[in-house]
Formats: sequence, C-alpha cells, structure tokens
Amino acid sequence: MEIREIQKVTPDDIQVSEGVALFKLDQLLDKARSNSLWPLTFGLTCCAIEMMAVGSPRYDIDRFGFGVFRATPRQADVMIVSGTISRKMAPRIKTLYDQMPSPKWVIAMGGCAIAGGPFKYPGQYAILEGIDKIIPVDVYIPGCPPRPEALVSALLKLQEKITAKKD
Amino acid sequence: MTQTQNDTHWITEGLTVESALEHVYAKNGFHQEFVISKDSLRELAQRFRSREYFLECLSVVDYPDHFECCYQFNRWDKIHRVLVKVRNPDKTHPHFPTLSDIYEGANWYEREGYDFFGVIFDNHPHLTRLLLPETAKIHPMRKDFKGDSGTDVEDVLALIEYEDHQYEKVSQELKNKYQKDYFINMGPQHPSTHGVLRLLLHLDGERVLETYPVIGYSHRDHERMAEYKNYLQFTPNMGRMDYVGAMSFNFGYIGLIEKALGMAPSPRAEYIRVFSTELNRIASHLLWLGTYLLDLGAMTPFFYCFDDRENILDMLEMLTGERLTYNFFRFGGVAYDVPEGLGDQLKAFIPKMRGRLKDYKILIEKNIIFMKRTKEIGVLTKDQALSYGVTGPMLRACGIAYDIRKAEPYSIYPEMNFEIPTFPGCDTFARYQVRLAEIEQSLRIAEQAFAKMPEGPIKGEKAPKVSPKVPAGEFYFAVESARGHYGEYLVANGSANPYRLKQRTPSYANLSSLSSMLSGHLVADVVAVLGSTDVVMPEIDR
Ligand code: SF4
Repeated sequence: MEIREIQKVTPDDIQVSEGVALFKLDQLLDKARSNSLWPLTFGLTCCAIEMMAVGSPRYDIDRFGFGVFRATPRQADVMIVSGTISRKMAPRIKTLYDQMPSPKWVIAMGGCAIAGGPFKYPGQYAILEGIDKIIPVDVYIPGCPPRPEALVSALLKLQEKITAKKD
Repeated sequence: MTQTQNDTHWITEGLTVESALEHVYAKNGFHQEFVISKDSLRELAQRFRSREYFLECLSVVDYPDHFECCYQFNRWDKIHRVLVKVRNPDKTHPHFPTLSDIYEGANWYEREGYDFFGVIFDNHPHLTRLLLPETAKIHPMRKDFKGDSGTDVEDVLALIEYEDHQYEKVSQELKNKYQKDYFINMGPQHPSTHGVLRLLLHLDGERVLETYPVIGYSHRDHERMAEYKNYLQFTPNMGRMDYVGAMSFNFGYIGLIEKALGMAPSPRAEYIRVFSTELNRIASHLLWLGTYLLDLGAMTPFFYCFDDRENILDMLEMLTGERLTYNFFRFGGVAYDVPEGLGDQLKAFIPKMRGRLKDYKILIEKNIIFMKRTKEIGVLTKDQALSYGVTGPMLRACGIAYDIRKAEPYSIYPEMNFEIPTFPGCDTFARYQVRLAEIEQSLRIAEQAFAKMPEGPIKGEKAPKVSPKVPAGEFYFAVESARGHYGEYLVANGSANPYRLKQRTPSYANLSSLSSMLSGHLVADVVAVLGSTDVVMPEIDR
C-alpha cells in the first residue's frame, strides 16, 4: 500500500533541492542493481582468462561497479558463462544458476557458450551446444575469446537492459 | 640427437618378444620399439622402473583387427625413448595387465583407456570413467563409434538426475563406513582450482588423509576431433588446449607434422617461433605467479603480474593478431612476419621485466607469510616424480635438470645460450623459485633469438599450400611447454587426417601426483599445493 503512495508523489509536492532525484521505487532498485552487479567467480575454459583480465589494472571493471567477484552463487547477481560447457559440467552450471538469488542475469561469453564454438562438429559427444539450452541468457558476446573490452561492453549492455523502461 | 643404444639387451632378455625394431630417432622420435606378449609386460615395466625410466605416455589405438596399448618409456638424463606395444585381438572386451602398481602415473592413463576405448586393465584398483561422466554409455574413441550430436541436452538431464540420486547414496555409504572422518568436495566451481577441477578430500579433522581429483569437467574431445578433421583444420585446437601457453602447443603440433613430412621451416620462421614461444612462457609464468599469490591471500601481486603480462600480450598481439588462443604456426613457417615496432617494444620490455623480477623477489621472499606457507609444504620426492612421470618446473624443483629444450633439442634451441634452473627443495617454494628463474632464462632466449633473426621468407620452400597428407607411420615429437613435457604420438595412415593423435600433456601427469603431495597436510595447504602445480584444466581434460 505504502509503495503506491510514494509513486503518486510528483515533483511539485516536495521541495526539490540540488542533489535530489526522483524515481519510482522499482526504478531506483534497478538503478542500484545495475551499478553494483556482482559476478560469480566462475571460469570454465579459455574465455575465463579474459574474464580475469578485465579485473586487471588495464581494464579495471571496478570502475563500473562490477569488480566484486563473488565465490558463492548465493551472493552473485550475474553469471558469466566463460567457456566450453562440457556435458559433465553442465549440471553443475545449472545448480549454480539455481542457487543464485533472483533477480539474476546470465552472460554467455564466447562462441562456446553461445553455440558450442569450435568444438561443434557432426558427431561430437562431449559438449553442450550452447548454455541457453539449459538456462536463460541475457547478453551474448561473440568471439573466441572475446576481448576484455567486449566483456565490459556486455556488462554495460546488461546495465541498459536492467534499467530499461519496463512498461 | 641420435644415439646408438648398445647395451639394451636387458630390456627384453628372457621375455616373449614378437618383434623388435631399431628406429632412427631423427625420423620419428623413437629409439627402439618392441612388440611383446601380454604376459611379459609387467616384468618389462619392472625392469624399466628399476633402471629409472619413467612412463612417458600410454596410448591405446584401435586397429581394425586388434587393440594396441603403446607404452613409452624414457629417461631423464640420457634420452632413450622405447616404444613397447602389446596387442589384443579381442575387439569387444580387450584385457590388458595393469601397470598402476609399478608406475603410479599409469593409473590415470589406464582409466582413460577404459573410458575412451572400453579397454579393461586387470587388477586396476579403481577402473572407472575418468573424463566422461559416470552416466556415459559410450566409448567414443573406438572407430565404430559414430557420434552423439543430438543428445547433448538429454545427456545433461540424465546426469542431473543421476547425481541427485547418487549424492544421497554415496553420502549415506560414507557415513556408515567412516564414523569420524568426513569428505568434502572442493570444486568444480572454486576460485582457486583454476578452472573446473574437483577434489574430493578425505579428512580427519583438519588433516587430509587422501585426495581424489575428479577431472573431465572441461573435456572437449580434442583427440577425436583430430581424427575427424584434416591436419590443417586441427591447428586451431592447439591454441585452446593450453590457452595460457598456447605457443608451445602450436610448436608441438606443427613440429610433429613437419617431422612426419620430413620438412624444415624457413630459418627466419624458426627464430620468430622461438622468441614468441619464450615470451608466451613468461606470460604463462606471470599469470601463475599472480594467481598463486592471490590464492595465498595476497591481492596486489595479481595487479602487478597482469600488468606485465599485458605488455607481453600487446607484443604477441602485434605479431599474431590474437591475445590468447594463438593459431600462429604454419606447416613450414609462421603466419605473419614481425611487424614494425615490435623490436622496440621488446627492447624496452626486457630490461623493465628484469627490474620487475628483482622487485618481485624482494617483495615475495621477504614476506614471512608466503615463506611459511610454502616452505616444506607439498613435498614431492624424486622417486614419486619418476613414478608419476612428473615433468616441467615441478620436476626441476626436485633438482632434476630435465628440460626438452636441452634433453632433445629442437628448432634453434641448441644455438641459444641459456640454463636450466633447478632447485633442490622439492616443495612448493622450490617450484616458485624455478618458475621465477625461468622467466629470466626465457628473457635471455627471447633477446638472443630476436637479435639473431635472419632476413628471409617466413615460410619454407616446401611448405604445403593445402592440408598435407602425412605418410603412413608412427611419430612422436615433444616440446617443453610452460608446464613440462608436451608430446604427441601420431599414428598416420597416409590419408588426409590422423588415424590416432594422442596428446601427452604435462599437467595430466603433474596433477595425478597431487594425492601423494597432499596427504598429511592441513586443509589450508591444499590451495597452496594445488596452486604450485600450475595446472591448466582443459589441457588435462583435452
Ligand atoms: S569461445 Fe573460444 S576462447 Fe572461448 S572457451 Fe570457446 S574455444 Fe575457448
């Protein structure tokens, strides 16, 4: 009930001074979330090294508030699937995804996570051809491996997606 | 290095030998070959073991009328590669004797043989699947296996169900069996398992009793892919097997095919190969140093090391166009010539890196926490190293100067002036020392190779324009990767793709020794010891 009350408030009703901005509550939450996306510390194969590189001084994703890599899924907001998904590993990825609290987002990094990448050929027996076959994906980054800049740009895209108008 | 091995009658004396061959080492990488009967194998292995040969590799090959186990034995001090083959005509359930009690390193090779080919090693202590999930019903490397493409999601769902069920069952069993001890799982998602390794630790309180590494979480079927693709199409896989030191793997594969084709790269290409490989080795060691110290709780070294590493990646990117998964070597040469400006960057980088090395040394070795956490932790004795077939910096930390670049010199390494650093500590600290000293040596090699590089074309005259056909035969070629002995065993049948390409990767043997390094240590040391092995999982899982 109370939330509705707040939403009805218009700028005219309150004293607006400098340094104050007005949001709907869910927009405010989205804004906050999008600026403190905590990724899960979770690397699969080659692409994971580029994921580590974004934490290094040259790319420094702390600038955007994405640098707080969490080792436990229960504290993470975004899962970066960075690498080939073997059939043996896929159930674990599903479990990790299920353990993350909502709202949660997934980035498929690299050709392998998108659709099997270079390991897809007729008759392959080892990999899952794309992570979106078992969990939903928000942003896809092509590349083999994608450059660190591409990962940063994907996170910014995700920010856009989170803060976009929903109605 | 061709040697005549005069005094080798002890190998087969009194055993049933079906055939014996003297090979020309320079041609296919072997000195001698024996085909022996199944019953003589264990006796023969014991002889090799007592004479300090290590088990270099075990490859199973599926021939139309029999299965063949190819064991390779070799020495650290004086190269003598002996190929021993045992055959079994039973095409459904072939049995072979196990060597896992003679060479502990054979344990995983045999499990892999069972996994890929359905070959049964009698009396093996734990013959279960190694790389494929337990629910798998296939033996994918058999020639009659036709593929499994459409079933990926089904397989995953079946595994999810199986694991849920299995978890209950196993934990109940363990509870009944051990009242006091307990088991914990570390990984496959764990920040310090460097990818997707799972360790099942059997603990008594804080002490580790036994460690069971569970691998295969990044199995990507490289070996079967090699049989499916032609020789040229397989080259990109090399950058993806050990992506941290991809140049060495390029070197290994391209070198193997060149050896099989009897072809030499152009002189300029040799120098480009060597300096790029050495730069890549430094990048690999820097990545290790940064993440290892991160594992031990130090954050800043990660930033320093990655900063230096980025400088190297810049140079390699100028040269190859890629940052990580290089696909740069070509049969008979390299893909691109050295671009303008690379020389200046390299000249600026080398002194800078030398200065940084000094800083690292002081910062790290004056840190009492680091010293206490690494000294006399994770000791691997020389005999254990032999038994597991450990190579690379881990072996050199046992005081043994075995390095392929000196032991079986390839390319232009004989012309280079460098040393093989060894340290006698056998512990994790010694491994750190070796790697740091190797950075210095690699700088030396890179500097020399770049300075001596001749003008000329970057591809040899005989370089094939299309994917080559390798003449029938068996070949082995090894290089020193950042993690140790990387070798490939190729069985070619004259067609456009390999009949069998076995990858002998260094971390595979190195990781299998983990269990003996860890027993008796505290849980907190697991990370310190595991980190010191510097494993790259996809290179193990292949
Ligand atoms: S997309 Fe390429 S770099 Fe990334 S994991 Fe797959 S093979 Fe490796």
